Formats: sequence, C-alpha cells, structure tokens
Amino acid sequence: MAEPAERPRLPSILVASDGHHAVHAPPGVDAGVLIRDTDLATLVHRAGSDCPPDAVDIDSVAGLGSDDHAVDFVTGRLAIPIVLTRRPQLAARAAERGHVGLLHVFAYDSTGMARSLEGHPRCEGVGSVVTPGLVILHLREDELAEIPKPILTYGLIDTVEDARACLAVADAIVVRPVLAAKLVAALVGADAVR
Amino acid sequence: MLRASSLLPSACEKSVSYSPPDPGAFIDRVAADPCCAAITAEEGIDEALESRAPVLFILRGNGLALAHLVRRIHAADKLVAVHVDLVGGLHADRASVDWLARAGVDAVISSHGQLMAAIRHGGMTAIHRLLLARRSHLDTAVAAIGRSAPNIIEILPGVILPSVAAMMPRFDVPVLAGGFVRTPDDVQAILAAGALGVTTSTRALWGTSSG
Repeated sequence: MAEPAERPRLPSILVASDGHHAVHAPPGVDAGVLIRDTDLATLVHRAGSDCPPDAVDIDSVAGLGSDDHAVDFVTGRLAIPIVLTRRPQLAARAAERGHVGLLHVFAYDSTGMARSLEGHPRCEGVGSVVTPGLVILHLREDELAEIPKPILTYGLIDTVEDARACLAVADAIVVRPVLAAKLVAALVGADAVR
Repeated sequence: MLRASSLLPSACEKSVSYSPPDPGAFIDRVAADPCCAAITAEEGIDEALESRAPVLFILRGNGLALAHLVRRIHAADKLVAVHVDLVGGLHADRASVDWLARAGVDAVISSHGQLMAAIRHGGMTAIHRLLLARRSHLDTAVAAIGRSAPNIIEILPGVILPSVAAMMPRFDVPVLAGGFVRTPDDVQAILAAGALGVTTSTRALWGTSSG
C-alpha cells in the first residue's frame, strides 16, 4: 500500500479499547480509538469494521511480531495510522512509512526517564508516549522540553480534572471509554458556555 | 595483585558479626525519618551520610564493589538498601541476593517477586518495587505482590501516589514511594496518602521530617 500523502494527525483524545467490543470515538471532539491488549485476529476484525482504530499499541497485540513486517502490516494492510511501541526501531519504521510512531517513554523516576529518552530516534514523525500519563503534571519545563513531540500521555488518568490538566500539557491523552464520555461532556459543556 | 578470595564481600574481614535489623526494625527506622536517600554507588554518598536520612537506597553503581561502601554507611549509623535489578555487575537472581547478604546489605529491592523469599531467607528486608503504569495492570501487580509476600512495597512514580491512592488496593505491608519526589509538599502529600516514607534523590529532602 502507498504511503499517505500527508502524515496523519494525532487526535487529542484516544479512547482505549481491547477490540472485543465496538468502541466509537465520541463525536464533537478531536478523538479517536486506541486498540491495545488484544490479539491479532481481533485487531484484524476491528480494523475491518465500521469503527476501525486510529492507533494501536503494537507490543500488546498477542500473535503480532516485533519487527518491520508487523509495522508494515498494521499501517499498510490494516491502515492504522498511529503506532505505539516501546521499540525505537518500530516507531522509526512507522514514521519512515509516512505514519506516526510513538515511542513509550517510561517516566517512573527522573533517571529512568532520562535513560528511556536516550534510545529515542528523535526523527520526524516519531513522538512519545509518556507512561504513566499522570506523571506529566509533575515534570519540570526542562524535562518536558526533552521529550520529542507529539506527546501522548497514557496511564492512570482517571478523572476529568486529571484529563484536562494532562491535555493542557500534552498533545493527547489516552482514557477509558467511561472517562471519555465524562470528559467529552465536560469539554462540550465548556464550549457551550463560551 | 588482589587474591580472588579478597574480592568476596566478607572474606577479608577477621570477624563479620553484622546482622541486618529485622524488617520491623527497618520499618521503624524509616517511620521515624521518612525521607530516604536514593543515590548511586558513586554519587551523593557523602551528603547522604551527613544527612538525617535513615536509609540509603543504592540504585546504580557497581554491585560487585559494595562492601566498603556498606561499611561506611553502617559506620554512620544508617541502613543500606540495594536495588539488585539496577546495580551493575549483578544478575537479579538468588546468587546475587546471597552476594548482597554477604556484603552486609540490610534490604534488597527488586521488581522480581520470586526473589522476595530469597531476600527474606538471607535475613534482609525484602522490598518489592511496583511500577504504576496503567489501571488495568494493577490487579496483576497486586496478585504478584500477594504471592511474593515482601516486607515493604516501593511504588513508582511516587509523586502520583496521592492522585491514585483511591484506586489502589489496600496492602498488608508498608508502602514507600519514589520517583519525581522533589518538594516538601510532595513528601507531605505522599505521607498523607498513607505511605511509610519516600525515596528521593533530591538532597534537600534527605531526612526531612514528616511534621
């Protein structure tokens, strides 16, 4: 399959799903669906459905390898434009193909985060997944500046307040479906007030 | 040239009588001064020794050359915990745990639950490190901790503990929090969330009291 003419955008809100049930991106906001913690057959089924995912956490798909063939398959055959991975070469491969690669940056402590960033390819089209996402609210400006963009925050974002705070710092967040509904209601409500 | 036997942590000692404190005593030391120093084997040692930090957590450095450092720490009336997964030269297994016990280490930290029994068997305090990544991983992590039966759980990143405390299960053992703990406010919030103490590389916090 040909590379996309323009690199895809990262939606501001990614709703997490294991693919076993149809999850739609909420309307009225810049949102998409992230599929993770699933298996290859379910991923293929969901990619061919009426609510295909916008992103996949490729390392968490049982049965899928961790190599260029796997990236080519999900971005080409399955047409999933955004690939999350903890492997720098896979993130770079997605970017080479004109898609978006997001490399997990594990931010459990400052030393570990620095080590995690050492392996970042730092090339166009490769951004970062800050894990756990909630920690981004506690990073210093100089630490934030070191993280290649776009930045997706992923993990332990459990309230509307936390989600909004993370969105103010990062480019995008991952939320569970139940929180997505509350967040969208809050965001749409805020827009209505304006 | 050094003889090989002199490289063993205790082989060159005429009498090695050190016994680590039991886990209860270790926990009491942290409870009294809850800000512990997170250091490498090469950096931060002198300041940590001069601080009020009750325990020095060695998270990097050469795990094969710790015996002298351990003696310095004990001479300063402090305890020492070593992260067996992170220090260099060691593979996280039973043999390395035994090595650390010979070096006089008081506590061993690991993310490998299967090592907790070996650490306890070595007379040391067993600290199981739990990395908070996603809510969906919590159940698995809690089950692993139930099996490993550590003396203490260390949670990372500790700075978010106050925000996620409501979704955390109740643990039967004390919790330490480490990672991005940088201010007295961070410390107070973490302790208020129920933690026994914090581990931090922020030197200004070493020995900070809970009051």
